[in-house]
Amino acid sequence: MNATACFHCGEPVPTGLQLCATLDGTPRAVCCIGCQAAVGWIGTMGLQDYYRLRDVPAERAAAANDYGAWDRPALQRMYVRHDDEARAEVCVLAQGIRCAACGWLIERALRELPGVLDIGVNIPARRLQIVWQPQRVALSALLAQLGRLGYTPQPLSAAALDTAQREESRTALKRLVVAGLGMMQSMMYAVALYVGAFEGMDPLTRDFFRWLGVLVTAPVVLYAGAPFFVGAWREWRTRRFGMDTPVALAVALVFVASIVETVRRGAYVYFDSASMFVFLLLSARHVELFARRRAADVVDALARLQPPLAQRRNASGALETVGTHELETGDIVVIDAGASVPADGVLLSERCDVDEALLTGESNARRRSAGESLVAGSIVRTGPVELRVVHVGAQTVLSSIVRLVTRGQQQRPRRARFGDALAARFVAGVLLLTVFTAGAWLLLDPSKAFPAALAVLVVSCPCAFALAIPAATTRATAVLARRGVLLLKPDALEKLLALTHLTFDKTGTLTTRQMELVGVQAFGGRSEAHCLRLAASLEQSSMHPLALALRAAAVLPPLPVSNSHSSTGNGVSGELDGRVYRLGRAAFAAPHDGNDDNGVYLADADAVLAKFEFRERVRADAAVTLAALRDEGLQLQILSGDAEGAVAALAHRLGVDTWHSRATPEHKLAQLQRLRSSGAVVGMVGDGVNDAPVLAGADLAIALGDGAQLAQASADIVLGGDRLEALVEARRIARLTGRVLRQNTFWAIVYNFLSIPLAAVGLVPPWLAAIGMSTSSLVVVLNSLRIRAQPPAPGAAAASATARPALEGAA
Amino acid sequence: MNIILVLIPLSLVLLGAALWAFFWGVNHAQFDDLETPALMPLSEDAAPRAAVEKTE
Repeated sequence: MNATACFHCGEPVPTGLQLCATLDGTPRAVCCIGCQAAVGWIGTMGLQDYYRLRDVPAERAAAANDYGAWDRPALQRMYVRHDDEARAEVCVLAQGIRCAACGWLIERALRELPGVLDIGVNIPARRLQIVWQPQRVALSALLAQLGRLGYTPQPLSAAALDTAQREESRTALKRLVVAGLGMMQSMMYAVALYVGAFEGMDPLTRDFFRWLGVLVTAPVVLYAGAPFFVGAWREWRTRRFGMDTPVALAVALVFVASIVETVRRGAYVYFDSASMFVFLLLSARHVELFARRRAADVVDALARLQPPLAQRRNASGALETVGTHELETGDIVVIDAGASVPADGVLLSERCDVDEALLTGESNARRRSAGESLVAGSIVRTGPVELRVVHVGAQTVLSSIVRLVTRGQQQRPRRARFGDALAARFVAGVLLLTVFTAGAWLLLDPSKAFPAALAVLVVSCPCAFALAIPAATTRATAVLARRGVLLLKPDALEKLLALTHLTFDKTGTLTTRQMELVGVQAFGGRSEAHCLRLAASLEQSSMHPLALALRAAAVLPPLPVSNSHSSTGNGVSGELDGRVYRLGRAAFAAPHDGNDDNGVYLADADAVLAKFEFRERVRADAAVTLAALRDEGLQLQILSGDAEGAVAALAHRLGVDTWHSRATPEHKLAQLQRLRSSGAVVGMVGDGVNDAPVLAGADLAIALGDGAQLAQASADIVLGGDRLEALVEARRIARLTGRVLRQNTFWAIVYNFLSIPLAAVGLVPPWLAAIGMSTSSLVVVLNSLRIRAQPPAPGAAAASATARPALEGAA
Repeated sequence: MNIILVLIPLSLVLLGAALWAFFWGVNHAQFDDLETPALMPLSEDAAPRAAVEKTE
């Protein structure tokens, strides 16, 4: 293993690489030229504090791109909002923002530029809002600055600037606080009234406190509670009754009855109950809104599969860079190798290989010939190719996938729907019972009719029922979202607990997608460094993991290559200084010498020059996570398409007994089906590139967030932040949630079944009813708050800290 | 007991002031991002911002 971690991104520095960046006069080891540039850049701007403030290493800096196309007016119309001549605003998604220090760094660095007026950084959403003076600095300069820092900027369409969403959360917050403050005041006056009832308060003072109650409760009911009334009105118009109707009805009845009692100087008022009810329900909604916002970021990631820019061939045959939204049916676009397809269309070039992971889940490239169609968002492996655009915008396949995911997120969990239905029926029953109670008492003793009916209505306030389930599930969703676990399907939490078997994919799940070069063997005279440089030069434009590993390991800059040709699944060939070199599998590069499958060979026309060996990097938290899951009694297995040796070695290392190698997606699916038909509840964890269809065949699909974005669409749960160990935490929280749910529901049933009959026969004075109702809903909410995240296990913290001492040693 | 005739209106005035201050804060983006600003005081130098203001 390597002893040194990159100062900027924390990745191990490849063996034999001597690349240093100087910060504050101290040389720091870095892993690549991009990181070296980023450190130097940050240093020259006097922003060294970033390294002290951040808590997660930065993402590896990519080589600087050309952002000039973003200055085109046609493109800016879509992405930039011009407030007036001297003021423009853009919303940029910056990939690579990890922690608050990133926000600090970005803000400082952008403020260095002239003409930047304001920067807003939203770290959880990884978004920046930049306000600048277009005549003093170009948008491309702002984006380039971000690129130099190591963040990949991606302007978002002007719709993201829409203030509607911001207004929505601001208003929600205001309503919540009005309800909270109003509740506190009305409760204080209520205490005075309750005490006064025992101590003998004179009627004038009592009425004074009651009118104060009206004063502080009115804003709570009329302003903070407005969403319930609006919702109830909507439900009434469509004749589909949900939770808003009973809530609005109960609040309105209690409030109006209390005002009537105040005016006619009756026995009891219940302003505290009304405001408390509104406050508790608003709190639950607030948490839910927050959780939904987090999930919306996932859809953003999907939509970004489509590139923002495209190369269009204009009438004169020249290429121009245009925004994807400017494309129209019939346009001819040119797509380079490694770039993604901007719109659905028909291939004009003779043939090409495309990676359609978004449709098929297969990252293995497929061959397409002239006349066949390509879909937007898929990646062209061999190019450049020409495409005639057929579908654009909302008609593309990608757009319909995004719509599907969005719809999935709007569904409520089965359990919550059940809770709603239960509460609605419960309310109907209580209303009937209230009418019945009033009627019965009118016959027996008319003076007790109103207090008894009101007591039934108040004591049975459905909040314990209405809150029992959503309070627990929204709390769990919010806690998990903070830990980077996103629940995409509503019933995911329940299923997570029911699992008996858990299946892991190997590549990209237990191991990272990145490869590392572990050895170079040079044959025939040339130095290892020279062979490495040749190999890196041949692979300089490829995005294949092996190519990335070669480039990362090469110390010297690549040489120009001509006649470069890549042969999918085999390797590449190209001309350097007039000599033809081949790089790839033994069968491709060295048909006569190489006979083993492992490694990549470099050869010229005469002889084999070198052999490179790679290996996959195992995730740091894989062993800990698998051990913890096994301890919980889960049956673990590994399904992989890789060769037997590699899978066996990994399974042995992680202590997994059951594994299958060389499994095609069909095999994997069949294996899952076999397990399920024997009664097992099977979960599948994958990165989704190769396993999207397999994920769909499991009872519970879990995708890792760094995998192909599409996996997230077919998954029930997404583990964000690239951490496998979050799975253990998610199961713990799911267990806790299940327990809290049962307790809440049990409490709501017991409480209501005991209190309602007592209230109906007139044994519960309304003031006791109000206290009972408030306590019962408080019990539910406080019980739900017990669902909370644990700090990361000390073992995991130690594992991630191991890279640090080496760094200190180097410094 | 006449003191409550002073104290309660006073508490209502304070309540109104607190609500006004909170609404002002929400309208001025004080609650839009609760994570980033927490880190700002950790850095002692405010130099870059000052430099920008000078150039403008």
